[in-house]
Amino acid sequence: MSQLSNETLLALDAAQNSYINALDSKSMEGWLASFTEEGSYICIAAENEANNLPIALMLDDCYARLQDRVTYVTKVWAGTFEDYQTRHFTQRISAEAVGNDTYKVITNYHILFTPEQGQTNVLVTGHYDDEIVLSGDTARFKSKKAVMDTNISPRYIVYPV
Amino acid sequence: MNAPQQPSPLVHWPAKTNEIPKDIFYREDVYQLELENIFYGPEWHPVAHTGELLNPGDFKTINVGERPILIVRGDDGQVRTFYNACSHRGNLLETRVSGNAAEFECPYHRWLFDTRGELRGAPGDDDFSPSYCKEELGVPTVRSAEYLGLIFVTCSDDTPELESYLGRVKSALKTTLNGDGRLKLLGYQKVLYDVNWKAYADNDGYHAPLLHAAFKILNWQGGKGEQYATENGHIGFESELTVPKGTDFLNDTALLEFKGSDSSRGSAIASTFPVTVITKHMDMINIRFAFPRGVGQTEVHYGYYCHEDDDEEMIQHRIRQSSNMLGPTGLVSMEDASIFHRIHTGNHTPGNVAFQKGVKHEDRIWYDFAQNDEAGNLPRWEHYRKTLGFDREEL
Repeated sequence: MSQLSNETLLALDAAQNSYINALDSKSMEGWLASFTEEGSYICIAAENEANNLPIALMLDDCYARLQDRVTYVTKVWAGTFEDYQTRHFTQRISAEAVGNDTYKVITNYHILFTPEQGQTNVLVTGHYDDEIVLSGDTARFKSKKAVMDTNISPRYIVYPV
Repeated sequence: MNAPQQPSPLVHWPAKTNEIPKDIFYREDVYQLELENIFYGPEWHPVAHTGELLNPGDFKTINVGERPILIVRGDDGQVRTFYNACSHRGNLLETRVSGNAAEFECPYHRWLFDTRGELRGAPGDDDFSPSYCKEELGVPTVRSAEYLGLIFVTCSDDTPELESYLGRVKSALKTTLNGDGRLKLLGYQKVLYDVNWKAYADNDGYHAPLLHAAFKILNWQGGKGEQYATENGHIGFESELTVPKGTDFLNDTALLEFKGSDSSRGSAIASTFPVTVITKHMDMINIRFAFPRGVGQTEVHYGYYCHEDDDEEMIQHRIRQSSNMLGPTGLVSMEDASIFHRIHTGNHTPGNVAFQKGVKHEDRIWYDFAQNDEAGNLPRWEHYRKTLGFDREEL
């Protein structure tokens, strides 16, 4: 595996930071903008992933589904749930070029949540298995898979992980 | 059965049949009474479907109340149910939630059991007690029965035979299990709700079109349907479910298609006492195994299934629908998850709750209801009250 340049790594990290910043800012449009038009998003429990069981918690396998997730959060569910603030903490574990300006990136994540009542707890922890496409100055997700070590999630999950 | 010894202070159960005292949702002494008389009493509890245990050696662990259970398909093909504890000193025998095993070894003293639960070896057994008998020291079994592949266990010898126990709810159960129960596991969504198990199980037909915006958007509340209950606390729903043409709020309308289900029975729910819910909405076959984690939390394992005869296209459709519509992140059900926590907190206020929708009488119990009545839960409450020996106050 050839060494990636600092410039490339910074661009890949910028894509991840943009993604988590959109979620922590509750900007679903910003979340959508972090994907390419071929983008897909899967959030799946590690237990299912390890046992080749395909059921996910969120399965947006085409761009239309990504757009629909924005509708879920901003329109369908609005006003029905006790809102919470998330904080994502990530650490890139590996990155490699797989051709066509595309990079396979593995990143650990740890997400805390603070409901309106104010007590902070762990929401989920796990790793992202991503494909990121670099195009000029921008880097966006062609695919993002959030594998959750937290097989039993607490309460409910409104926003993507 | 003798009435259970009553907690102190006594539970004051209101006279009207549509009222429930709120303190039962958080009292530790009531919870202990429930464990002993409901979860370990004469009730059947679904713990697995055979579609989760397809091969010899496949196993699954889960709880009934707070008792750990181990379900294993033996090397002879037979599914057996055990308490998940070594027959020697009670050590938890299997820590994994599922997998495949050729044998089960307790690491504490290396007692070894086969997939039929029989003890194969115990180191140092020539120096054991005079009454030691290897043949009698298999993994402790728990009584079980099956209906269309759904495996139930009961901790009591007094529980009636399964089919008579299920009674009328067998009809809804059969619909939810796709008619013949020939299912294969697609995966789980698991969640720990901050709610007492009874409030989780008290979800009703009234709230659906009101809480869930997607029900309204999809016109799900407009279907024809029936709701019925049994004297021992089971509830069945069988309803028409049609998705209007030209729904434009989703970009990906393929998610809403019916591919293999009869829309006149497009929504079926079998809710068996005390806490299990089995549903079939559109092409999603969903068994919600549940158990309390103390008085204030309920763990729910949403298992999703396909049918053995499904082709690849149908399987993919079920995966897409199941992964996006139900569960703690589902389009039509996330709001339930958020309500559970709020209702548990709210139930710490004094007094009683009073059911309203569909309540025709306040001095008796009846068993047939409209689809969107919340009164359908009242026979379950009556069964609960009687089981725990709580006396109603005088009108």
